[in-house]
Amino acid sequence: MNGQPAIQVRDLHKRFGDLHAVKGISFTVPAGQIFSLLGPNGAGKSTTISILSCLLQPTSGDALVMGHSVQREPMAVKAAIGVVPQEIALYEDLSARENLDFWGKMVGLRGAALRQRVDEVLEIIGLADRQKGRVAKFSGGMKRRLNIGIALLHRPQVIIMDEPTVGIDPQTRRNILDSVKELNRQGMTVLYTTHYMEEAQELSDQIAIMDQGRIIAQGTHQDLVQIVGELDRVDLTLNALPDWVTDRWQQIPGVQKVIVGAPSHPQATDGERTVTLLVDDSNLVLPRLFESATQAGVRITSVTIQEPNLEAVFLHLTGRALRDE
Amino acid sequence: MRILDLTIKDLRQLVRDWKTALFLVIMPILFTLLFGFAFGGFGGGAQDPRLPVGFIDQDRSSSSASLLRLLDQSGTLRPVLLEGQEADPERAERKVQAGDLAAVVIVPASYGDRLLAGEMIPLRVLLDESEPAGLTARREIQTAALRLAGAAEIARLSAQAYEAQARFADGLARRQFLAEAVDRAIQAWQEPPLTMLKTESKAMEANPIMQSGFSHASPSMMVQFSIAGLIGAATILVSERKSRALRRLLTTAISRPQIILGHYLAMFLMIIIQFVILIAFGQLLGVPYLRQPLAVALVMAATAAWTAALGLLIGVLAKTEEQTIIYSLIPMFVLSGVGGAWVPLEFTSQTFQTIGHLLPTAWAMDGFENLVIRGLGIESVLQPVAIMSAYAVGLFALAAWRFRFE
Ligand SMILES: Nc1ncnc2c1ncn2[C@@H]1O[C@H](COP(=O)(O)OP(=O)(O)OP(=O)(O)O)[C@@H](O)[C@H]1O
Ligand SMILES: [Mg+2]
Repeated sequence: MNGQPAIQVRDLHKRFGDLHAVKGISFTVPAGQIFSLLGPNGAGKSTTISILSCLLQPTSGDALVMGHSVQREPMAVKAAIGVVPQEIALYEDLSARENLDFWGKMVGLRGAALRQRVDEVLEIIGLADRQKGRVAKFSGGMKRRLNIGIALLHRPQVIIMDEPTVGIDPQTRRNILDSVKELNRQGMTVLYTTHYMEEAQELSDQIAIMDQGRIIAQGTHQDLVQIVGELDRVDLTLNALPDWVTDRWQQIPGVQKVIVGAPSHPQATDGERTVTLLVDDSNLVLPRLFESATQAGVRITSVTIQEPNLEAVFLHLTGRALRDE
Repeated sequence: MRILDLTIKDLRQLVRDWKTALFLVIMPILFTLLFGFAFGGFGGGAQDPRLPVGFIDQDRSSSSASLLRLLDQSGTLRPVLLEGQEADPERAERKVQAGDLAAVVIVPASYGDRLLAGEMIPLRVLLDESEPAGLTARREIQTAALRLAGAAEIARLSAQAYEAQARFADGLARRQFLAEAVDRAIQAWQEPPLTMLKTESKAMEANPIMQSGFSHASPSMMVQFSIAGLIGAATILVSERKSRALRRLLTTAISRPQIILGHYLAMFLMIIIQFVILIAFGQLLGVPYLRQPLAVALVMAATAAWTAALGLLIGVLAKTEEQTIIYSLIPMFVLSGVGGAWVPLEFTSQTFQTIGHLLPTAWAMDGFENLVIRGLGIESVLQPVAIMSAYAVGLFALAAWRFRFE
């Protein structure tokens, strides 16, 4: 099997009636890598993952997992993948061990093999001493770990995680990111979806940025950041927003892009507006911006300058922010 | 095998919930006791569930005696011979008004003679038509009277046939001939020759057995609370779908039909276990389930089959855990109330009985009561079992068709 990619997605389409949720995406995940699908809400990440886990049929195109087609060999695909859903898909009125026992039977484990594997998984997810406890009484982090553990029972070669860190506390998130890395270190291929660029950046060997059903950029973190090159990202808060801002600032030498109202400053209060710019060198551009603001009687109330990152890439490619918080 | 794993998982979840035992066992036991005592319980005289009907015989002929026997054999009525002071019609009417008697039949003097002479003469019947018991009594009395009139007609015709060839020695001989002919005709009616296609009503074949006041309460509460018990099982299905565990199951090796069957089987077994406990309890109270163990098992399995299918349907249709309560309790009330689990259907009007028998509960009650009240054999449950099985198939098909995995 050496050299065979773990996942190959080829020109995959999915329509829900009129809605074209996935519009012909292709990507390849080499075995042993962590691959992230990064994209905002509704990008089509979960749809893609559902197709890979044989929960949805693609409208056209195909996907191969460990060389098996999701359309023609769903059973082989199911045996090769462990799916960690976004939700805590467990039985809360059963204990951790009873859950693992049940899910183990569902993937075909029995008897001594089942008992042994459940013990191993309990160790991996660090719940060995809480195995008899009812899941309903567990903390959110413990439930998340069990949710992952269930996907590991049949020793899958590929593990697919759909936004496993949505809505959890920082400590649990840290915990999950660490276990993803650990699983990968043990040889598992990981397909990870998220809309947090920090996670994609920290974990991934490769990242595909998805938006509105398409992959708009793909590569390593370095590759992607190259897209915005040496650009700096400057976020400004203004006390008012005259209409000429975009046009006039666009003409300042060194300004590559002006995006009005990119909501990256949740603290922006009433009347205040934010403007985000991608610029070649903030040191040269900033004085010109202040000058032009002063001439027009607009006050700049805050300035943030960021090194190039995935957020900037997304902004550059779509004109929108990755997160709509 | 995976079907059973899923079934065992469901049953384990059910056992975890204290409400399961409450709905499945404790409540039906309490209600059986309550209604059982209300219907007479262990007590002596009140053990007969048949409607008491006063009988005032002003004729004292062999015909009035035949009528009394016919009423007694109806299975639904318990004629009480009113004599002496009791035979006063006004006094008897007060008893009807007080509800002590469902009706009073007054056989006027020379009723028998005139009947045998070919006259159609009405019986006087006192009853309250606004009461279902009164309506039932009227129907049964009418049936008995018609039957007697029919028998008298046959007797008269055969006497004429005899007289065409020979003569009776005297009036007494003629009378005896007629009385005997009436009895024969009635008997012939009860034991219809094979060529008669129309079978008699159950009540006529019935052989009412000694019963306790629990003989209705026990099966009826069992049937009613098997539906109430669906709340827990349906909730498991709903929360499995809501937590997305059901969707996750689809990423494993179990197939969709296996998932549906596994859940169905869990509900079926839950109800069977419930029935076994409640039947054992009923037997302790003197309800003679064990007289016909095989037949009881058949009715039990058929009842559990459609109830479990109903449970599956509730689990499929309900979107939230709260909805399972509504979706279980509404059919429970309708199916129990209209299907004869509260008031035995034979105490209701013909129309109500017909409507009741559109529901599977009525057939479950028929099945159980044919065995423990009417004392009939296994052949008496075949029709109810067949009809309930058809309900099971229909409800299951509906649930499987509407089954949603997310
Ligand atoms: N079963 C479905 N029927 C109809 N439309 C659907 C269905 N599933 C997803 N969609 C639509 O497809 C689009 C892509 O949804 P998807 O869940 O794949 O996005 P996502 O990238 O996972 O977003 P999120 O970050 O919100 O989870 C959305 O517009 C969504 O409303
Ligand atoms: Mg999603």
